[in-house]
Amino acid sequence: MTGGKTEMAVLVPERGTTVLMIGNPNVGKSALFNRITGANAIVSNYPGTTVDFTSGTFIGGGRTYTIIDVPGTYSLDPRDAAEEVAVRMLRDYPDAVVMIVLDATKTDRGLYVALEVMERGMPCIVAVNMMDAAHEKKISLDIAALQRILGVPVVATTATSGEGVRDLADMLRKAKVADIGAIAQRMRGEEPEREPAFTCGGCGGCGGR
Amino acid sequence: MVFSSDARWEMVDEITRQTVTYGTYKQTLGAVLGDLTVKPLTGIPVAVAALYAFWSVFTSFAGELVTDGFMVKFFDGLWLPWFQAIWPDPGSWHYFLFIGNPAADTCFEAFGMLTSGLFVSVGVVLPAVFVFYLMMTLLEDSGYLPRLAVLMDTVLHRIGLHGYAIVPIILGLGCNVPAVTATRILETKKQRFIMMTLLAIFIPCGAQLGIMMSIIPDLIGVVILCLIIGFGIFGFVLNKIIPGENPEILVDVPPYNWPVKEYVIKKLWNRTKGFLKEAVPFVLLGILLVNLLYLGGVIQGLANLFEPVFVTWFGVPKETVGPLIAAFLRKDLAIAQLSIIPMTAYQMVASVVLVTIYFPCVATFVVMLREGWKELIAAIAVLFVVVFIYGGLIHAVGILLGVA
Amino acid sequence: MEHVDMKQENDRKITPLGFYFALLGLATLLFGMADILVWAGIRPGIEVGILEIAGDDFFRWAWGGFVMVCAGIFMLAGSARVETLQQSAKVVLGGVLVWVIAGTDIFARLCVAIPAGEASPAFLNSCSGFLTEFAPPYTPAMLLIPFTLGIVYLIRMHANDDS
Ligand SMILES: Nc1nc2c(ncn2[C@@H]2O[C@H](COP(=O)(O)OP(=O)(O)OP(=O)(O)O)[C@@H](O)[C@H]2O)c(=O)[nH]1
Ligand SMILES: [Mg+2]
Repeated sequence: MTGGKTEMAVLVPERGTTVLMIGNPNVGKSALFNRITGANAIVSNYPGTTVDFTSGTFIGGGRTYTIIDVPGTYSLDPRDAAEEVAVRMLRDYPDAVVMIVLDATKTDRGLYVALEVMERGMPCIVAVNMMDAAHEKKISLDIAALQRILGVPVVATTATSGEGVRDLADMLRKAKVADIGAIAQRMRGEEPEREPAFTCGGCGGCGGR
Repeated sequence: MVFSSDARWEMVDEITRQTVTYGTYKQTLGAVLGDLTVKPLTGIPVAVAALYAFWSVFTSFAGELVTDGFMVKFFDGLWLPWFQAIWPDPGSWHYFLFIGNPAADTCFEAFGMLTSGLFVSVGVVLPAVFVFYLMMTLLEDSGYLPRLAVLMDTVLHRIGLHGYAIVPIILGLGCNVPAVTATRILETKKQRFIMMTLLAIFIPCGAQLGIMMSIIPDLIGVVILCLIIGFGIFGFVLNKIIPGENPEILVDVPPYNWPVKEYVIKKLWNRTKGFLKEAVPFVLLGILLVNLLYLGGVIQGLANLFEPVFVTWFGVPKETVGPLIAAFLRKDLAIAQLSIIPMTAYQMVASVVLVTIYFPCVATFVVMLREGWKELIAAIAVLFVVVFIYGGLIHAVGILLGVA
Repeated sequence: MEHVDMKQENDRKITPLGFYFALLGLATLLFGMADILVWAGIRPGIEVGILEIAGDDFFRWAWGGFVMVCAGIFMLAGSARVETLQQSAKVVLGGVLVWVIAGTDIFARLCVAIPAGEASPAFLNSCSGFLTEFAPPYTPAMLLIPFTLGIVYLIRMHANDDS
């Protein structure tokens, strides 16, 4: 469906400058991707629009990032050939930063893949997209709490209007490896040893640093 | 650290509990209307109406307004006479290649690269694909497509697919190339194979439909019916023959959205640009090639060679060989070429169906190859069998009805 | 909201508004059936005043007629207790189907009206030529448009009680 610029993805130099966009289908990954890189990936309102990867570049903070838009997947056990592409991309770019994209109106499904990705120990950053739709449906999300629990930067975005996209792009360099054990502990109500990183309460504005 | 799936779900639940609060949900008219479009009793009439609107706008805009209203007049009244007047030497080979038949009154008849080539690609097919792309974009962006998938689920299960196969089918109506890659959203190898084969054989692309509409407006309904019936029959057979699973899946239906204007314009522009860059040169090249083959006597030779098959088995004139060769490059071109062969209504229908089903165009062929050469070879094998059987079947029905 | 509906249900099933939509639905249904019957060859075409059912092609009259029949049925089905959200939705859906048919009819006329036509040497139609394309007779769906404005009211009603 996209094809076009595939060869660009092959030359991957520096660590942490390749960004894979992983998330459920139809959460707005391609829309975000277009916003960040100015590319023309196809955006449609049905799951399974993107069936191949597309890459684009984004220059920010003096670094050139290669951003790769990946087919949506419900889990890392691929169900079909499009999801296989997503899993293969994760395997082929073990050094990449993963931008996990969630749909604010359906966070649970997206969090499942998010946890799966975090278990792999890859540096992550989370974009909670479709904030406008969530607002309309009277769903409110505590972004700060989510950031505290996951221990990685979480940014609220609305790809259609571009809100939060700038923040998300700036936050790329703050991506970090989630401590899945600590997340599990927090969930059980035991506070893991205090991390000095979160003294500000995590407004999302600084990525918790 | 790796968790089990259950443990992960537990964590997900806990995280959601701590971070998400749901406000009071109130049903809106829009939501109830949305539900009505997926319930079979109301949803099927809505789908029928959507199809009606699609086709009506398509024929009005591309047929009446652009092609018949302006393009035919321009190309037949100004373009063709002008070229016929200024190009030297009507008997020469270059006249034949670029301008075509010196006695022609219309750009369909002339069949030169600069006359028919431009007329077919820009005058007829471009407006058709333009509205087609526009309406497909609206279909994709509104969120109706997955709902259509839910409605079509029971039907498509009969032929070894599930409702979501509607996505490649609809995309294929625009162009088979993205449709072939879109088969990746189907789960099993069996489904992908069935879908890809049926796509390559029975789904005409927007360009083909556009040219059909302009050449055989009265017969296009019959042609489409033949294709749908063939799709059903061979899907059913393939489902029985091919081993493998056809699992049930839940289609994830997103909420309806008003298509975002910028996205629609961008998509429409990109697709139209793609057509201009890739299809137009192919049509021109195709005409050049076919005319060269005519000059070299190759087509006449092939026509005589295949005459028995064409005349006795398919019941179409032997001249159909020429268009079938052009169909390797572009099917719209092939159908345009059919229009200048004198034929009865039955022969027209049969030959248009043959051109549509007999072989995928080069571009489709290439993407199919990319998706796997083994599948491609198998699909081609199926294709030849299907063309032979179905072509004969249509002929038999024609004989029974007394029209062939 | 819910208990208000219940009360209305007990009070009276058909409100004036519901009666109006029932009539509209019935008219749509009959028009749709007429479209199909004329196409099937019951009569060679009907022209009454500014109404015309040509019935000359399958796509417009049989297929389009089927859509009109469904639209009529939806409106009839929704007309009892039309004030409830569920029932309103059926009426609105019926109205939308009528709009689809009428809209494509108007669009088709527009597409014929803009070019000058085969006979004339010009490309663009003259202003008067353009306007005469929109002169009566009209198709049943086009005639129904003014009467479907009640549906706009229904949509507004639910848009308001939403906020
Ligand atoms: N309301 C709203 N809609 C959005 C937002 N972002 C994307 N969309 C819409 O969501 C739909 C899906 O967007 P895509 O970018 O195609 O989603 P995707 O994640 O790439 O989907 P796949 O390619 O299928 O995995 C489109 O119709 C977008 O217009 C958002 O922030 N708010
Ligand atoms: Mg995508």
